Amino acid sequence: MITLFYALIAIAFLILVLGLFGKTRSHEPDEGMPDNHSAPSIGNGRWLHLSERIFDPSDAYWLAEELAFPKLAKALMLGRKRLAIRWLETLQASFDDLVRTPEITPSEASGANSAGSWQMLRLTIRFKLVIFYALLVVKLFGPYHRLIPSFSWVPFLQGSERSFRRAALVNSRSSH
Amino acid sequence: MHILGIVISFCAFLLGGLLILRGAVSRLISVFPLFYSYIIYCFCGFLGMYLIYWLDRQVYPSAYWIYYLVSILVEFTVLVEISDQIFRPYHAIRNLGRALTIVISIVLGFVYILPAILGSTPRRPALFDFALRACVTKVVILVVLFYMARHYGSELGRNVGGLMFGFSIYLAMNIAMLSAGKAFEPALRDPILWVMSPLASVLCILVWTISLWELAPVPSVRAITTATGRDSEAVALELTRFNSELSKILHK
Repeated sequence: MITLFYALIAIAFLILVLGLFGKTRSHEPDEGMPDNHSAPSIGNGRWLHLSERIFDPSDAYWLAEELAFPKLAKALMLGRKRLAIRWLETLQASFDDLVRTPEITPSEASGANSAGSWQMLRLTIRFKLVIFYALLVVKLFGPYHRLIPSFSWVPFLQGSERSFRRAALVNSRSSH
Repeated sequence: MHILGIVISFCAFLLGGLLILRGAVSRLISVFPLFYSYIIYCFCGFLGMYLIYWLDRQVYPSAYWIYYLVSILVEFTVLVEISDQIFRPYHAIRNLGRALTIVISIVLGFVYILPAILGSTPRRPALFDFALRACVTKVVILVVLFYMARHYGSELGRNVGGLMFGFSIYLAMNIAMLSAGKAFEPALRDPILWVMSPLASVLCILVWTISLWELAPVPSVRAITTATGRDSEAVALELTRFNSELSKILHK
């Protein structure tokens, strides 16, 4: 039985490899490269400013608590959630554009094992993990949930949680 | 059957020699150093094994097993070479393939390969199991590398594609052979292995010789390089900016 299992692994692997090579051959040369116009650049200030508005909970809290429009606040939150997901996905697409950009200098000139390459790989993996986590939290709990876990469930920390929210509200009002 | 095995082994030996010769002539040795070090090891290994076989046939089985087990470990260098070559044009993920190869090898090495030797009591089945599990681990690494190459749109090119294809044939044949070897009695198993094992090597080296006949740069990367390429510092700076922007959101 185990022999059959391993034989199936071998056959499946060969079929997979042949299939992958077939697909690679049929691709256009630039198909693997992403569309450069799909995502804005990280240097775009307006696009980055948009994230501050999307992830800022003060207007939703203002609608819900000060003006007492909970339904309107909920609708705003849902809209912001969709926007936050799109913003994070666009950030990820923009990052993938950067990662897929080939180098100018010949590959032989730069050492494959340089410390810089490992540092860049660390940054790439860190970004991928963090954005995966951020997307997960936004999809599950919405854009106004803290990405770093809150400890408001601890009784003596609940007061400080409320004061944090008030401070955020005051700050946003003073800025408008 | 016995002569056939020797003839096939000799073909593999000759093809290996041709591959090394072509590598030296077309200067591929400097582009694929790890791969050619493996081929040179195999070439010298074949030579050494034949010398032992003709000089002292009693020592040959033990010598063969030692050579075979070392080869199983040395084959990982081919995977490291493939993983290095796949992501070479990309600054940010240049070491991704190597990192994946090392991590998967270590994890599966401890969880899957080593228990084969530590758990079993009879020596030969344990060695078969060890070789089989090492092959499966290499297959897992190759599949992950294939997937990552496709995910990042990396063009493999004729050289690296050939390396992967040849090694895939070799691994698939070895898995089928070793799993069958575990199931059958030595009287049936040994003659089959005597022929099939060098046959897998011949097919693999034949694919490698054809694909590595001359240096073939990846066309799409060469075309893009001058148009949209960036230097290393610019990419590092951009990566840091992306991470800092994400960190800002994280700390809100």
